[in-house]
Amino acid sequence: MLLTVAYLSKRFGDQPVLRDITCGLAAGQVLAVLGRSGGGKTTLLKILAGLETPDTGTVLLDGQDLLPVPPNERQMVYLYQEPLLFPHLTVFENVAFGLRIRQVGKNEIVQRVSKMLEELDLGAHAQKAPHQLSGGQRQRVSFGRALIIRPRLLLLDEPFGNLDAQTRADMQQLFLRVTRQHQITSLFVTHDSREALTVGTHFAYLDRGLLTSFPSVREFIQDPRTSIAAELTFWESIQRTAFQPDYET
Amino acid sequence: MRFRLPKLLLGGYGLLVVGLPLAGLAYALLGSVGLAGPLAAGFTGRYWLALGHDPGLLYAALYSAGVALVAVGLSTGLALALVLGAQAALRRGPLLGLLYVPLLMPALVLAFYLFQLLSRSGWLSRLSYQAGLTSRLEAFPELVQDAAGVGIVLAHVLLTFPFLALLFQAIYQESRLDDYYQLTRTLGASAGQFRRRVALPLLLRRAAPTLLLSTVATLGAYDIPLLLGRPYPQMLSVYLTTRLQRFDLRELPAAYLAGFVVAGGLLVLLVPALRYTRRHAL
Repeated sequence: MLLTVAYLSKRFGDQPVLRDITCGLAAGQVLAVLGRSGGGKTTLLKILAGLETPDTGTVLLDGQDLLPVPPNERQMVYLYQEPLLFPHLTVFENVAFGLRIRQVGKNEIVQRVSKMLEELDLGAHAQKAPHQLSGGQRQRVSFGRALIIRPRLLLLDEPFGNLDAQTRADMQQLFLRVTRQHQITSLFVTHDSREALTVGTHFAYLDRGLLTSFPSVREFIQDPRTSIAAELTFWESIQRTAFQPDYET
Repeated sequence: MRFRLPKLLLGGYGLLVVGLPLAGLAYALLGSVGLAGPLAAGFTGRYWLALGHDPGLLYAALYSAGVALVAVGLSTGLALALVLGAQAALRRGPLLGLLYVPLLMPALVLAFYLFQLLSRSGWLSRLSYQAGLTSRLEAFPELVQDAAGVGIVLAHVLLTFPFLALLFQAIYQESRLDDYYQLTRTLGASAGQFRRRVALPLLLRRAAPTLLLSTVATLGAYDIPLLLGRPYPQMLSVYLTTRLQRFDLRELPAAYLAGFVVAGGLLVLLVPALRYTRRHAL
C-alpha cells in the first residue's frame, strides 16, 4: 500500500468530524470518496495534506509516518474546488511555481513546463494572465501546477464543482488521461456519484465522519447510502415510460 | 427632468474636482508671469528666470520627497510585517480595533502630542533626566524640529502605518491569502517562500495606487511639518504657505510660480504613475 490510514479521528470542539477512519490506497489507484457536504471530506484531505492535525490515528505513506512531516515536505498536493491560480503570475509561471521554489535550473523549467502545457492543451496560453482564461482552462493550469512537481499523492477536493456540465465532463476525461499517463495516485472527493464512478478505480462513502470502503464497484452501487441504485431505477423507469407507444399522448 | 438632475450634479461635481483646481493652477500661472494678482503690471518672465537662482524650492521639493518616501516606506514595511506576521492576532484579538484609534486623531493633535513627548523639554527628556540617563537638556537627542525630519517622519508613520495595515488586512482576506498559503505549502513552499513569492507581490500590487496616493498626501501635508519641522529645510506645503503669506505683495508672483511648478510637476509625475499602477493592478 502506498497510503495507509488507520483509526483517524478529529473533533472540532464537541463535534466529531472524523471517526476512526481506516483505508488504504495502492500506487496508481484513484480512491473516489463520495459524500454529502459537511461529512468530513475536506477535513480528511487536509489531515492527509498536513494542513490539519488529527486527534488520534496514524497516516503512513510508503511505510513512513506522515504526521510529523510538514505539508511542504509531504509531496502531496491539495487541490481546491477553485483553481486558486496566482493572479500576479502568467500561466507559465503558475505551472512553474513548484519548480522555482525547488530551485530547478532555468532550462529544465522551460522544458518541463512547456511539455506540461502542451499535454494540457495550454501551449497557446502560456503568457496569458489567469483572468484571461475560461473556468476549465484555469482548472487545467491548476492541474499542471500540481502535476509538474510529480506528487506522491494528489488530493482533490471537488475540483470540478464550479464548472458547467460539459466542461466538467471534459475535465473528468482529462483527469483520467493525465493520471494514467503520469501514474498519479489520487484521493478524489466528490458529492456527485456519476463523477465518482467516472474517475475512481476504488470507492468509498463518507458521511458524518464515518468512512465505508467498498471492495468493488458493485457494492458501491448497491449501497443505498450512495443513492446510485435508486437513481438507476429512476432513469430506467423514465426510459421505460418514454419509449411506451402511447407516451406522446 | 428626472434625467437632467444627475447630469447637473455630475457637472457640478466635475467642476468642483477638476474645474476649480485647474482654475487655481491657471491663476497661479498667470500670476507667475505678471498677468494676475494685486500688483499685476503686464507680462514678464523675470520670475521664471529668477527660479533658476533660488535653490529653496528645489531643496523643499527634495526634502519633502525624501520625508514622504521614508515615511510611506517605513509604514508599508511595518504594515506588511504586521499583516504577514501576526494574522492570528489580527483576527482574534483587539489589535485590529486598536489600529483605528490613531486614524481618529487629527494630524495636528498627533503632532502636538509628539512634540510634548519628544521635544527636549518634553516628557521623555524629563524622564530621561530624572532617570539619570541625560545630565542636561541638550544631551537629549533632537527628535522633533530636527534637520533630518525624524519627528515629521514619525508622526506620518503613526498615521499612515495603521491605515496601510487595515488596507493590507482587507486585501489579505479578500484575496483569500490563507487558502493560497495552504495551497503553496502543499506545493512545497516554506512560509517565507509564500510571503516572498505570493503574498508580498499580491498585496503590493493591489495596494499600489493607494500607496502612491499616500505618498502624495504625505508630500503635501501641512500640519505636521508646521509643528514638528524646522524653518529650514522646509517641506513644500510650509515653504509655499510661508511665501504666499508674506507681507510684501511684490513677492506674490514668485509664490504663485512655486505653487504652479509644484502642482504641475506633481501632475506630470503622478498621472503616468497612476496609469502604470492601474494597468498592472490585479
